[in-house]
Amino acid sequence: MKEISNKVKEIANRLLAEGQVDVFLAWEKGDQDYLTRPLAARSVEEAERIVCDEYSIHNLSNYLLKFRDGQEKIGLVVKGCDSRGIIRLLEDKQFTRDRLYIVGVCCPGMNDPLKAIKRNSGLLPWADPEDKADKCSSCAYPNPVIYDELLGSEQQPNVSGERQAKIEEIENLSPDQRYEYFRCEFERCIRCYACRQACVACNCRVCIFDEMRPQWVGRENNETDNMMYHLVRAYHMAGRCVECGECQRVCPVDIPLMLINSKLAKDANEFFGPYEAGIKYQEDSKPALSVYSLDDPDEGFM
Amino acid sequence: MTDKCSCEQPLVPTIVEVVDIKDETPDVKSFYCRLSEGGVPFNVAPGQCAMVSCLPVGEGMFSCTWQEEQEYLQFAIKKVGLLTDELHAIEVGQKLGVRGPYGNGFPVEECQGKDMLFIAGGIGLAPLRSFIKYCFKHREDYGKITIVYGSRSYADLCFKEELFDEWPAIKDTQVYVTIDNPEEGWAGHVGFVPAYVEEINPNPQGLMAVTCGPPIMIKFVLQSLEKMGYTDQQVITTLEMRMKCGIGKCGRCNIGSEYICLDGPVFNLAQLRQLPQEW
Amino acid sequence: MKILSKDKLESVLDKLAESAQVFVPLSRANSSGFYSWENRNPEKEQLMLDTLNVYMSPKNIGFPQTEKMYSIIQSGAEAQIKETFEDSNPRIIFGIRACDARAIRCLDDVFLTRGYTDSFYQARRENMVIIANACYSPGPNCFCAAMGVNPTEPEADIIIRDTGDSGYIWEAQTAKGEELTAGISSLLEEKELKAPEMKPFPTQVDYSGVAEKLKGMFEHPLWEEMAQTCQNCGICTYVCPSCHCFDIQVKSWGDEGYRYRCWDSCMYTEYTAEAGGGNPRPTTKERFRNRFLHKLEFFTERYGYPLCTGCGRCIAACPTGINIVKIIDQVKEASVDD
Repeated sequence: MKEISNKVKEIANRLLAEGQVDVFLAWEKGDQDYLTRPLAARSVEEAERIVCDEYSIHNLSNYLLKFRDGQEKIGLVVKGCDSRGIIRLLEDKQFTRDRLYIVGVCCPGMNDPLKAIKRNSGLLPWADPEDKADKCSSCAYPNPVIYDELLGSEQQPNVSGERQAKIEEIENLSPDQRYEYFRCEFERCIRCYACRQACVACNCRVCIFDEMRPQWVGRENNETDNMMYHLVRAYHMAGRCVECGECQRVCPVDIPLMLINSKLAKDANEFFGPYEAGIKYQEDSKPALSVYSLDDPDEGFM
Repeated sequence: MTDKCSCEQPLVPTIVEVVDIKDETPDVKSFYCRLSEGGVPFNVAPGQCAMVSCLPVGEGMFSCTWQEEQEYLQFAIKKVGLLTDELHAIEVGQKLGVRGPYGNGFPVEECQGKDMLFIAGGIGLAPLRSFIKYCFKHREDYGKITIVYGSRSYADLCFKEELFDEWPAIKDTQVYVTIDNPEEGWAGHVGFVPAYVEEINPNPQGLMAVTCGPPIMIKFVLQSLEKMGYTDQQVITTLEMRMKCGIGKCGRCNIGSEYICLDGPVFNLAQLRQLPQEW
Repeated sequence: MKILSKDKLESVLDKLAESAQVFVPLSRANSSGFYSWENRNPEKEQLMLDTLNVYMSPKNIGFPQTEKMYSIIQSGAEAQIKETFEDSNPRIIFGIRACDARAIRCLDDVFLTRGYTDSFYQARRENMVIIANACYSPGPNCFCAAMGVNPTEPEADIIIRDTGDSGYIWEAQTAKGEELTAGISSLLEEKELKAPEMKPFPTQVDYSGVAEKLKGMFEHPLWEEMAQTCQNCGICTYVCPSCHCFDIQVKSWGDEGYRYRCWDSCMYTEYTAEAGGGNPRPTTKERFRNRFLHKLEFFTERYGYPLCTGCGRCIAACPTGINIVKIIDQVKEASVDD
């Protein structure tokens, strides 16, 4: 990764110095070896701080939403999952391709700084001794699917089946059992909306959960409203989620959101497929559920 | 000096009945409220506000434009969103919730003996009206009164009866009205309020200026007043931010370390300059 | 001195639970927080008195995420407040640290002083007894001492000090504490034990003069830079023990309904969004700046001490690595020259 890190810094330097980009999104180092955090470099001086290492887990394509109304040219570093996020934004017409310079990095699997931070914080009952990010244990797209420049050697997908196994296990439960499983999980939810904020596909200007006219879901932290929040959000993600796993990573109370999102992605593929969100960008390509054809299947999702 | 709500449950409203509704402009109505059994739920000093709610819809903080003894509390409410749309649809006899009074109110005592200059724009006349009427009620306590008021159009002028008939007839009182653009049937001044104030050019000597209106108008009025030689102590304004609790606890109406609902909404310019420029 | 031996701990908690809701630091899934002792799932949820602290703060006990305030009826022109829901059931918070105890004092100052008493918070707080666990081994993200909190002398009704196998020294500090101690005195022993040694703080930060300096830094370019990577997710405000912003909303169906309050976050866009369409804090920078100024300057100006109690939870929770200690450092180093 050291070589890639240096190359990224070099590229950022060049792009900023030549004025090809106004902002370059990458990472910088904190004062511990696991403290890598996002950085938006706007000058060659700031670009000196750039790294891209094994703790560069963050999905930088989410930051593009901060710039969507501007004119700036943005350079950014993306791994496989992040690059799908860019296609998500392009398809949703939230950004235009000509404003981007995409540096793709073939990803060998990342460590999650949050794991190390949480382990060292003394606040959790059980500390995973490994920093390897949970979402990376099951990765279908380690290589970027859209880029202007590609770094690193091609990686093999790693679909170990852990998440798929859990999904199958839940599929085999009765509807009541499934409800109970998720009810227990959502009970912990504190409605902090971090999952929504971390999600690239959540890019509505006024989120449905912020609407007051009418108010679709109340802000009470109870079974009903928590369920409604998660299920409505999941349905808005159906066919659009690029499975980058950030939602689950940022959740402060450890809710297994990717189970639902992966299940819906699986169903979208089964019903409307072959289909995977954000794999290939074409002018006017649309998410599966944004297209209606007369021979669409009638079965519900869950 | 001003009564704070002395109740034990400051977040729980009292039920009042709307006894009259008056159309002021196409999107502003005045609501006259009192307790069903007569009387008002609390006394409101000029510049203070109350949380008015349509119970199943929500609450909003509105300046009390006037308290007529124990007869009624009057609120002038503009139709801009969820709650105010609902309020504009109610009829006389509707029961609403109110809680208050909130805020520090205008410094009516400190201003005694001074000449008064009231500068307002649009719905901004509503909070000033309570101070204006207070001055008229205690006319001898105040010197010359000048009112400069402007709105987008004639139809958007609030309190037309008072503006054109009642107030100019009061002793030693001048009322200047302007609208933004020329209109058929309007023979009065045309132009924005800040420029009109400079035109009228009242002498700052012994004068207190009180202003309220859209943020952009306040900004220019303050600039004009400064140009005209008014000191920071002579200029008072009343601010607004989104409010929920009204009692300085929910955190959202702060400008710097001041809560607009509790420490404000009335501030003089000297105090404003101490605050972060976030308004 | 009074001692609670470790083998009597659960009995004490059970006894206390006979006449109050007892909240203890518990694990829950792969997270932790202050949850009910008597309602715990003993197979899945473990007491966490030996760990530094828990992930979710105890503020939800006095200031719940969602709190019903009063029920309403509106039928045509008629409207009525039916009943108010102040909840003064007795509660005991067992095992909070000094940082969280200070945060409760912050909430007390906010909700119970300055002209108005929040009747809902007061009802809960009146019958709340706080038993705090003195802290001798600060963690890597801890900086309570820098914020004026003494980790070994938490502001509480009772302080327990963990001496190891010999048990906890049990010190009642207030009349409430004395009363509760009397109720379980049969489960305590008399012994002389020595309190542990205070270990040093791994993280050093200097807050002195920061509140003053921040007064002149509202327009400083530092805020733009520091807010760049913030995603406005709100986690910091929710794990923070002293963040107390709330929203008041209504739930209604047909003629009935109720008003409730719920946590809100200054990080959200619609926090200050006005009905007419204006928003004084439209972008991340303004909201970010407001949050840190509130924590480090505005509250200090208003109440005399900072709103940040140095617990370090936000540092452990932020998905993009924003760190309030680093922000304090940067403020101290910043040059203010206009």
